[in-house]
Amino acid sequence: MEDVENIEEDECGFSRNYFLAKELGGSSKRSAHKLSDINIVDEQELRETALNIETKHEKEISELLNDYKTMYPKWVFELRCGFGLLMYGFGSKKLLIEDFASASLTEYSVVVINGYLPSVNLKQVLLALADLLSELLKCRRKSSGSLSKGQETFPSRSIDEILSFLHGSQSEDKDCFICVVVHNIDGPALRDPESQQTLAQLASCSHIRIIASIDHVNAPLLWDKKMVHKQFNWLWHHVPTFAPYKVECVFFPLVLAQGSTAQTAKTAAIVLQSLTPNAQNVFKILAEYQLSHPDEDGMPTDDLYSASRERFFVSSQVTLNSHLTEFKDHELVKTKRNSDGQECLNIPLSADALRQLLLDLNQ
Amino acid sequence: MAPSGTVADPPPSSATDSFNSGASEENDIRPFFVLHKASSGSLQGKSTGTVRSKRTIESPTPKIAKKSEVESAEEEDGQFLSNRRLKIFETVWSKIEKTIENVLRDSNSKIFNGIYDWIRESFESIRSYGALSLSEAVRSYPVLTQASSKQLFTALVLTRNLEMVDDLLTFEELNLHLKSQGCHVAKLSSMDFSAKNGVGGCLRGLLRQFVMPTLDVADVTTLASWYRENENHKNPVVIIVDDTERCCGSVLSDLILILSEWAVKVPIFLIMGVSTAHDAPRKILSVNALQRLCASRFTLSSPAERMDAVLEAVFLKPCSGFTVSHKVALFMRSYFLCQDGTLTSFVRTLKIACLQHFSSEPLSIMLEHFCQDRSNQNLWILQTSYVLIFGGEGNGLLTESTMKHAFDLPSVTRNKITRSTCELLPQFLLDLQRMPNPWSIVVLCIYEAGKFDKLRLLDIFCETLDPEARYLKYFSPSAIVNCQSQVSGRSVIRQVLRKLRDLSPSQWRSLLKRWENLSAEFSEINDKVMELHPLKRSVEAAGQRQGLPNSPKKHASRSHTKLEKELSAMADKVAAVIEFMLREYMKPVESVPFHEILCFKNVDKLQSALLGDPRGRIQSDLLEAHNILHCICCSQRGTTLLPSMHDTSILYTLAQEHADVINLHDWYQSFKTILVSRSSKTKQNSKTCSKSKKRKDRCEEPEAPAEALIQARFCRAVMELQIAGLIRLPSKRRPDFVQRVAFGS
Repeated sequence: MEDVENIEEDECGFSRNYFLAKELGGSSKRSAHKLSDINIVDEQELRETALNIETKHEKEISELLNDYKTMYPKWVFELRCGFGLLMYGFGSKKLLIEDFASASLTEYSVVVINGYLPSVNLKQVLLALADLLSELLKCRRKSSGSLSKGQETFPSRSIDEILSFLHGSQSEDKDCFICVVVHNIDGPALRDPESQQTLAQLASCSHIRIIASIDHVNAPLLWDKKMVHKQFNWLWHHVPTFAPYKVECVFFPLVLAQGSTAQTAKTAAIVLQSLTPNAQNVFKILAEYQLSHPDEDGMPTDDLYSASRERFFVSSQVTLNSHLTEFKDHELVKTKRNSDGQECLNIPLSADALRQLLLDLNQ
Repeated sequence: MAPSGTVADPPPSSATDSFNSGASEENDIRPFFVLHKASSGSLQGKSTGTVRSKRTIESPTPKIAKKSEVESAEEEDGQFLSNRRLKIFETVWSKIEKTIENVLRDSNSKIFNGIYDWIRESFESIRSYGALSLSEAVRSYPVLTQASSKQLFTALVLTRNLEMVDDLLTFEELNLHLKSQGCHVAKLSSMDFSAKNGVGGCLRGLLRQFVMPTLDVADVTTLASWYRENENHKNPVVIIVDDTERCCGSVLSDLILILSEWAVKVPIFLIMGVSTAHDAPRKILSVNALQRLCASRFTLSSPAERMDAVLEAVFLKPCSGFTVSHKVALFMRSYFLCQDGTLTSFVRTLKIACLQHFSSEPLSIMLEHFCQDRSNQNLWILQTSYVLIFGGEGNGLLTESTMKHAFDLPSVTRNKITRSTCELLPQFLLDLQRMPNPWSIVVLCIYEAGKFDKLRLLDIFCETLDPEARYLKYFSPSAIVNCQSQVSGRSVIRQVLRKLRDLSPSQWRSLLKRWENLSAEFSEINDKVMELHPLKRSVEAAGQRQGLPNSPKKHASRSHTKLEKELSAMADKVAAVIEFMLREYMKPVESVPFHEILCFKNVDKLQSALLGDPRGRIQSDLLEAHNILHCICCSQRGTTLLPSMHDTSILYTLAQEHADVINLHDWYQSFKTILVSRSSKTKQNSKTCSKSKKRKDRCEEPEAPAEALIQARFCRAVMELQIAGLIRLPSKRRPDFVQRVAFGS
């Protein structure tokens, strides 16, 4: 009964705050100051400075992280009991979770997914996990002396089949699992329902345990009850670290740098690396064309199709379109119409940046 | 396939990261990578090269970094104990889980049998149309013209549960049940009925389940010819759709139309799980499809009913021995009633409680013996008592420190039990594991009486667990039974007692019958119940006299008063029995010494593990950072903001003063004022280089940072607030404002 009252009180507090804020916004005139009134330093300098910000309270933060070390045995126990760990609280939890994995999960293979990146291909992750597991099962059979049942190879490579391979049979050793660390399971690349469904199915596999972190206050809205209770099976841990979000920040624009929405070669390279080799090759054709025809508006779509088809990178217009959608979603490519009314594809990067990108891709 | 092979080398990062090695920096921008493979210790014969890019938190004190021999020995012990604990946890939990599964199966079995009977009867009626030849049965023509032969037999299973999660298991069980009876069963979920894949998608799903898992066609004739193969046509085909409301209506309608055309050739039975109301199909299906349905309705038991059954089996009947304290039970109750309402979440809460118990209470490993049969238990009690009294190693588990812990338990010190005065120890342990437990018999007896008033076992259970309640001190059952006035009070037991007087003779009869069964194994209570029998008989006799037809009016009124008298005498007598039960046996587990061995009590731990509160906690992290960081400099700040505070913390505190939108310029200026407030007034010009300017000591008077640095720090802090989802960046329409998203927790 007490709890019910508490909940109601909390909700009242929330709505009170909300209406107070709304009222404040309505009654007093909004400040008319412009961002341009600030004497903003050069964007380049701003970025460089941002990389070298000294962390405040470094000593206290490292003490905090060391305090969490006492929790490690408990966390391992919880994982072994079949639960998933969900870390939340302010500050980057990347270092903490990886330290935990390196220090306490040595008996298990650990795969890390960087959910803060703009694109993660979950199918590739699943394949890698299936590889690891088949290797693990092979070793186990060898050491236990029993003959291989031929189960370690997974015949076909659809997501469902990989998942059912990872799920294994219930009777097998319960302590044989791979830990999957997902930094920012609420990150931009994993935020869509399909990815969350796949991750939830992955989490419910008997050979998989998930350790994930969230940073967004509304992250729990990503999951329905089936996912929470039956699949992820989360145990929440409040572990604020106050560590700076160094890597997680790379893909966010600086609020004071107005023109910062443009793609940089670095972020583009990271996105491209997560795509299939064929998609990368199509992108290369486009980039090379753009470099060799600097005066044109871009490459006509039809030309790109015939060039890609000649080199066997795509088999049909549908495949090309799916690559192009992927490029457009990540703002790697923009479409324009040239003077002839033809649809043209253009990469919104400078020639230098494009050259650097091609170099990176060819390495 | 090596995962690293799919990812080309990333471009060099310009970040100078103090703790990242080169390898890990590279890993930071890979979508995924293998941190390490299972160590060779756990896997013999592992020879593949492992890429290790361990990152560890640098320990400031050498104590943690270097392990002494003592520590590593302790670690080994810890490892042993943790394995042991895990094993016992698994034993205990699997026992509870199995119990719950059985309870749920029992509660559904009647409905399942009903569904199967319905299928059989309808199947026979379809077969009565006459046998079809093979060529007729697998072709789509001639088109059926009779409306009655296009009817698709459909069962609407009302789950009485808005959340699907509880019913997943139910439909899985139904699937198994029907399969075991020989039906061909396929299970489709709302995922199969998506508008994207259309009706072809769900037909494909059906064929995969019936015909072949690798099949990739969507053709009903394949289904028809499969049905004619071998002996398949001797059994009905059943399709279970567990969450009808979430399906795409048009796709489901299409499927119904297609299947109904084949209804005679392939007798298909559709079982649709409906959670809202029985008319739900009307809302999602097309009129055409609705006309083809020949529906029957089945209703499952409600979550609250199932909950009571589970509670009874897990806590009140012999199960695993594990139990929860009054506070934990109250929390679980309010979580069930106010927040989640699903049995699944209740079971999960129980599992978390069990896990927390094993990870926090060293003596919990003794629960192993509570799971064993009676003869082993008694032997164990003797052994344990011996070890506890005289010291020594018992099974290698009771070390000196655990024994010390055992005698430091609050329930032990409260009862002033020490090692020297513990000759009663075997008795305490016996009390703990005593089965049948008189307390649970009393609770169940009260529950039986409460059933006439539709009381929930959950409420009674929570109330009777309270170790503080002094039932007989606060109210005497006989007084309440006789008291006609409506005494207000939240007590459930009080309510049960008050209701006793209103029972009819037949209700008395059934109540006493059930009490008799419940107390059968416990003679002390059973004797008292048996004493009520003569009274019961006279009540019945009076009841019969009153119920006699054609009796003169005078007689009727006389027999009525006679019956009333008998009933009130009965109520008094029963109240006395209840009084006796409460007085003698109402001893909740928390009043027994050493109950900590099997009772989980830490409600805060349970709550924080079960219900993360990112919205509230992340905001309070920011607003009260000094409490978490324990830094001296910021703790003394009072209400003023200090430049030594975490940047994001400063910025978020400043944001609290704004309305729902924040002017970036103003926000920046106030942020800047905080950072340079105490510094010397030598203000830097905006364009000066920041690199040469580095603040020396954070906690002392900081020098004024350069403009570029302030701006960079502002950007970083805004970005971190954005990552936390606390603000939304400026839109094109409102370029100078950010929007606040969270208002209070």
